[in-house]
Amino acid sequence: MTDIRDGNGLAAAEKLYTQYGSRARELKASGKKVIGYLSALGPVEIMTAAGVLPIRLKGNVSEAISKGDAYMETIVCPFVRNVFDLAVKGKYDFLDGMVLPHQCDSIDRTNETWSYTLGLPYWHFLNVPHVTDDPSIAFMKEILRIFIKTLEKFTGKAITDQAIADAVKAHNNNRKLMRELYDLRKSNPPLISGSEMMKVLVAAMSIPVEESSALIEAVMKEVKERKPAAANPKAKRIMLIGDQIDDVAVIEAIESTGAYLVMDDLSTGSKMYWQDVDATADPVQGIAERYLRKLKIPTTFVGSADTYQGILEERFGHMKKYVNEFKVDGAILFIYKYCDPYGFEVPAIKSYVEAAGAPVLYLEDEYSTSSLARVKTRIEAFLEMIA
Amino acid sequence: MDYFAGVDIGSTMTKVVIMSDRIEVSLIGPTGPEHRKLANRVMEEALNKARLTFEDLTYIVATGYGRINVPFADRQITEITCHAKGLHSLLPSVKTVVDIGGQDSKGIKIVNGKVMNFVMNDKCAAGTGRFLEIIADSLGVPLEKIGEISLTAQKIAAVSSTCTVFAEQEIISRLASGEPIANLLAGIHDAVATRVYSLVKKLNVEADIAVTGGGAKNIGLVKALESKFGQALLVPPEPLITGALGAALMGKDIFAKYMAEGQKPTRSVNKLEEATFFE
Repeated sequence: MTDIRDGNGLAAAEKLYTQYGSRARELKASGKKVIGYLSALGPVEIMTAAGVLPIRLKGNVSEAISKGDAYMETIVCPFVRNVFDLAVKGKYDFLDGMVLPHQCDSIDRTNETWSYTLGLPYWHFLNVPHVTDDPSIAFMKEILRIFIKTLEKFTGKAITDQAIADAVKAHNNNRKLMRELYDLRKSNPPLISGSEMMKVLVAAMSIPVEESSALIEAVMKEVKERKPAAANPKAKRIMLIGDQIDDVAVIEAIESTGAYLVMDDLSTGSKMYWQDVDATADPVQGIAERYLRKLKIPTTFVGSADTYQGILEERFGHMKKYVNEFKVDGAILFIYKYCDPYGFEVPAIKSYVEAAGAPVLYLEDEYSTSSLARVKTRIEAFLEMIA
Repeated sequence: MDYFAGVDIGSTMTKVVIMSDRIEVSLIGPTGPEHRKLANRVMEEALNKARLTFEDLTYIVATGYGRINVPFADRQITEITCHAKGLHSLLPSVKTVVDIGGQDSKGIKIVNGKVMNFVMNDKCAAGTGRFLEIIADSLGVPLEKIGEISLTAQKIAAVSSTCTVFAEQEIISRLASGEPIANLLAGIHDAVATRVYSLVKKLNVEADIAVTGGGAKNIGLVKALESKFGQALLVPPEPLITGALGAALMGKDIFAKYMAEGQKPTRSVNKLEEATFFE
């Protein structure tokens, strides 16, 4: 693998980003089992505890879907279709198996298409509930236990409570480090650019947790040594909101206009790193609570407040905090076409974040760079508008 | 005298405005696939018409979807900002702009002469000039005539498809079953107006409303839009040039701001010469 030394953290991240999955391929060659997963709901602690490498699958926004549509209906969301297309074309041929968590209908209803078409030795559908009351936590714990059993059977090795507790500790530490890296974006200009940050985030989804932590530490050290550049007083500080954005194309479109991308509420970004797993006597309890209750994503969130405003605060309150802490001047809400879970929330997010003081540009687009020029015009016009 | 130029490269037309304290010259030419060469030619023509040389120009702003390809411009600004600026200078009472171009249509909300909000439709051809071009072509009617002909319709032949390809099929089959061309054209204008109206309605629409772009030159479309919005719409004397005019005005503002700070704006090093497209 790329040696992560002081001073080359960003270069290592760049390589892992450009050659996505290269580390998994290396580890596979040395005998490690690799399990792919989709979405922020993949319980990485359990996979790490099982001794397998979890890798979150991404698509390629620059590659047109050429084979996947022969197996999967085009009504499915463009992101899922793109990832599936890459898998069909052999990009992820190092996988020993996959776990598909029930985040949305596009994942739920294509589970069989994935499993039948790819024919991997291990397959698991994690039937995450979409309500968060106590019986749902009990249900979530049960399905996590079933997941543990299937992994044990596949690897032939027991997953002890101790191993899970250790993995929880390692992933919590990883999240803490990533939050520290995010802190370096609070200065003006930020010490790390939005596209550099995206490369680190993507790289981190594809390597073992200890290596990810070492990578983040190396990047932090490297960017802290940068001489702070003079801030451009006219440059606007932007927050990007959406689900899985895993490519720098959109971010470069934002930053090429001179704006700074300083924060995100993405499922590849802060959503992944802001909530830790509580160390509970039964380690599965903490994991169930983190994924079902703490991780606020559109399909699992259920409000408990009495008023609509209260529910908005529960659901989007963190975005108001980001606007203040990261001094956000404007937000870009980027939603993939046909993504109904995120689509339903658009009016609420827009009005909530605007009330928090940041104008919002809403963009609905493909998971593809084919329409980037048009997206860029909107982004530039938005930045001119808030100038 | 300081002269400012705005170049607006749209999907089908390239527009140039040269101004001092008034509009010196405005020129409209077709846009080809080689934007840079063409921008150069339209600019030359505009300069000739104004009896000016390229060196006489103080600052040049490019806008429109081909703005990046103008090698001699000093600055690029999006068409949203420029349309609002240009229109506000012509019709200061306007608060909502409906722009119908060749490949997109947009709505812009103006407050105190500045863009407050905007919406754009450009994912498909429905609701754009291209849609009307294709239909005019399949009906064998010159594009500039379709608006007037549509006004002679006995009734609006409702066209239910919003997809250009399907709408074209629908039109052809209706034509075959004996529907008069005027009725079909009325239906098509109604369909585009419905599409544009539902897009712009997402903004908090306030009067006065103006229509710009190629679509504003089509009386049938303007009438159809008026019936959707339930009020008369304003059309500037030359609805194609508002973007280029806004670009020239933006250049003027930028220059004035630099001068006020006792500085000169940095100019683009490029001369007005033919740029190689494939460099």
